[in-house]
Amino acid sequence: MTALEELTKLADTLTNPYIERWKEKGGKVIGYYCCYCPEEIIHAAGMLPYRMRATGSTSSELGDVYASSTTCTFCRHCLDQAMRGEYKFLDGLTTLHGCDHISRTFDAWRYGKVPTPYSPFYLRLLDIPFKIEALSLEWMRVQVDRFKRSLEEHFQVKITDEALRQSIKTYNEKRRLLKSLYELRKKEAPPITGAEALGIVIASTSMPVEEFNEQLKKMLDEVNGRDGFSDYSARLLLAGGELDDRAYIELIEELGGLVVTDALCVGLRQFWDLVDEDSEPIAALAKRYLERSISCPRMVDYQRRLKFISDLAKEFKVDGIIVQRLKMCDNWGCDSALIQRRSRKEGTPCLILEREYLMSAVGQMRTRVQAFLETIGR
Amino acid sequence: MTEKYQLHRGAYELLKGAEDPTMKNIAQWLGGVLSAVDEGKPVVYNQFTFWCDTMVPMGLQPLAPELWGLLPGAATSFPALDAAHDLGIPSEMCWAGRYVIGATLLDQLPPPSMMALPSYPCDNCKAAYQVIAELTGAPLYLVDCPYWVEDDEESMDYWVNQYKGLISFMEEHSGKKLDYDRLKEVAEESNRYIEYWLEGKELMRLKPLPQNGPWGSPAEILTTFGSPSATAAIKARLDALKARVANGETAVPEEKVRVVWNYLPVLWSPALFNWMAEMGAVIALAIYDWTSFEPIDTSTPESTIRGMAKRALHGYMARQGRGSSDIIIEDTLNAFEEYQADCIIVNGAFGCKWLRGSYGYLSDLCRERGIPVMMFDADIGDSRVVSDEEVKARVGEFLETVMERKKGGA
Ligand code: SF4
Ligand code: SF4
Repeated sequence: MTALEELTKLADTLTNPYIERWKEKGGKVIGYYCCYCPEEIIHAAGMLPYRMRATGSTSSELGDVYASSTTCTFCRHCLDQAMRGEYKFLDGLTTLHGCDHISRTFDAWRYGKVPTPYSPFYLRLLDIPFKIEALSLEWMRVQVDRFKRSLEEHFQVKITDEALRQSIKTYNEKRRLLKSLYELRKKEAPPITGAEALGIVIASTSMPVEEFNEQLKKMLDEVNGRDGFSDYSARLLLAGGELDDRAYIELIEELGGLVVTDALCVGLRQFWDLVDEDSEPIAALAKRYLERSISCPRMVDYQRRLKFISDLAKEFKVDGIIVQRLKMCDNWGCDSALIQRRSRKEGTPCLILEREYLMSAVGQMRTRVQAFLETIGR
Repeated sequence: MTEKYQLHRGAYELLKGAEDPTMKNIAQWLGGVLSAVDEGKPVVYNQFTFWCDTMVPMGLQPLAPELWGLLPGAATSFPALDAAHDLGIPSEMCWAGRYVIGATLLDQLPPPSMMALPSYPCDNCKAAYQVIAELTGAPLYLVDCPYWVEDDEESMDYWVNQYKGLISFMEEHSGKKLDYDRLKEVAEESNRYIEYWLEGKELMRLKPLPQNGPWGSPAEILTTFGSPSATAAIKARLDALKARVANGETAVPEEKVRVVWNYLPVLWSPALFNWMAEMGAVIALAIYDWTSFEPIDTSTPESTIRGMAKRALHGYMARQGRGSSDIIIEDTLNAFEEYQADCIIVNGAFGCKWLRGSYGYLSDLCRERGIPVMMFDADIGDSRVVSDEEVKARVGEFLETVMERKKGGA
């Protein structure tokens, strides 16, 4: 099996042999939602950070008991999986009030609606500011520090500065490698597809980082020798929130579009900026996570966000932008409209696609993407 | 050229000679907004859960856009909602955000010189105000509220510093300086207002209820709070309520069901509560009343600002929409006990994901305690989503069940 296959297949299951081996050795796994959770803190505590997704879910029936019909289906499926005990490999969970949906479904864990392997289960909500300024940066530093202390206290471990510095270096290496992968996608004939890239970023959040880095180096060697994809009709930037289903991008790519870059949660937003390795580690982490050059729409930071996306579109020479948004998501509901308005002004065509967490209405999506590609295609 | 904001100008003409202090106060605000527009003075948007007590002492004209939209009746907002939809704003979003975006696009709102937006109560507001900022180019100050504020002093310090940041922001964008003597005056006037509010809230505990709820109202705190006219408005309402108590008057001839109305009234159906009253169902309190306030200590500028910031955290929806489900659940269950209610009705506003997301947990607790609870679907401002008949059918059926249960002694 090639390293590319090895990595991308991790996206298709909730857990995987890497996690199983980790657990067999007595390792702990901490789940987290959203790109604002500093993975390095978990890593420096000797634990494995795992980005939450609901891969394999087929229904949200159980989750719907607590998550209302106006909660986004990503959260509903995650809650459903949790209530069914599918995350039993987790030793703790952390989130932030990324949105009203996540906050409310996190309450189900707090209220004991979710079976956990031990009690009291480690649960932590990070109080991440909604804005970027000096005051909020300091508040973020306090939060990162509190997060570290809470892990130390709950699991009776010590997170030393030295361990943190090492974790920062290791995660920065991961980021550099992923960035170099994205660099390759700038080529006229990119050596990997958008669906493959998504699989790789998902893998980066579902296995020990050291092993991921090794696999990714191998994979970069592999794809460097590839011919590259040139038979596409349009280069695309795919933006939006939670998307962890490769099949979604595969469908767009089957129709002739090639996703060459993205502004997705489990995508570029996950790894783009590095942490300063020379500063005090907690402060450096706070700065990197709060001030990331591409923020999430939860942040009142629309000007920087819109500019980042428009610069990205130019940098990767895209022919069009597709924004996928989960139904019920207010953050992306507004941001997608802003992205569309701005990109049209700048002459870049933009299509908004609404979706549910599980792929549905495929026929309709096919028709809309096809029509979009026909109007923008080369 | 036809003058802009005809509906509001008409309302102002109608209300400006009113005797009733509540109406007089609305007229004062409307007049203030219209003259600021006509004279090119700064207008500060204060999102509808953010009180105007920092703007009043600076002589800046507050404008809560959502209140502006509701004043001529929610049905007048339909073109704005359609315009927001055309921009790509999803219809599952709350009426409040969709209205403000659409009204901005249609030029139905006096444009802001700057905006003050708290990070509570929901995603809708933060998302929508960013669209408005992009559309208007007006500077936006986010008053960033910690999630579990008050757990510790550090959270409170962060929040108070946000208030100070807002003051500096308004100074910078208006060229005006905050006069601390004036701030003190406003805070003291607002203390008097709050005293009357709390006094009225206590009277609403009486059984049978002297007057149908809700007692509290956002009208003054969003428009003129801290000014004598706002205080006069609530004082007049309190005096009327006291007179009813003294005369033994009650909300309905026979109080059959006492309701804790969990949330905002249905904004497009002001007659709904009267319709319920005809069935003998009274509203002991709605979300405007679930609040407790401490008087502001005005001894120093620091204590005054701290007091204002702290008080804001207990305003309607600010209190419940700034943390976990615990707060709204506790508030609801406490209200049920303290107001000796018979049931809880949740206005399940579609756009309001944080509210609806806590309902499952609330209903579990109600079931455990044997409290009748019901949530109905509606949009808070758009009557086209779920009709009046549908809401009444659902509410009516529930009230009848509660009445039956009471009769049966359950
Ligand atoms: S997609 Fe939207 S609603 Fe869903 S978790 Fe992400 S931000 Fe929240
Ligand atoms: S009604 Fe709910 S969703 Fe709408 S603005 Fe208020 S808190 Fe937000």
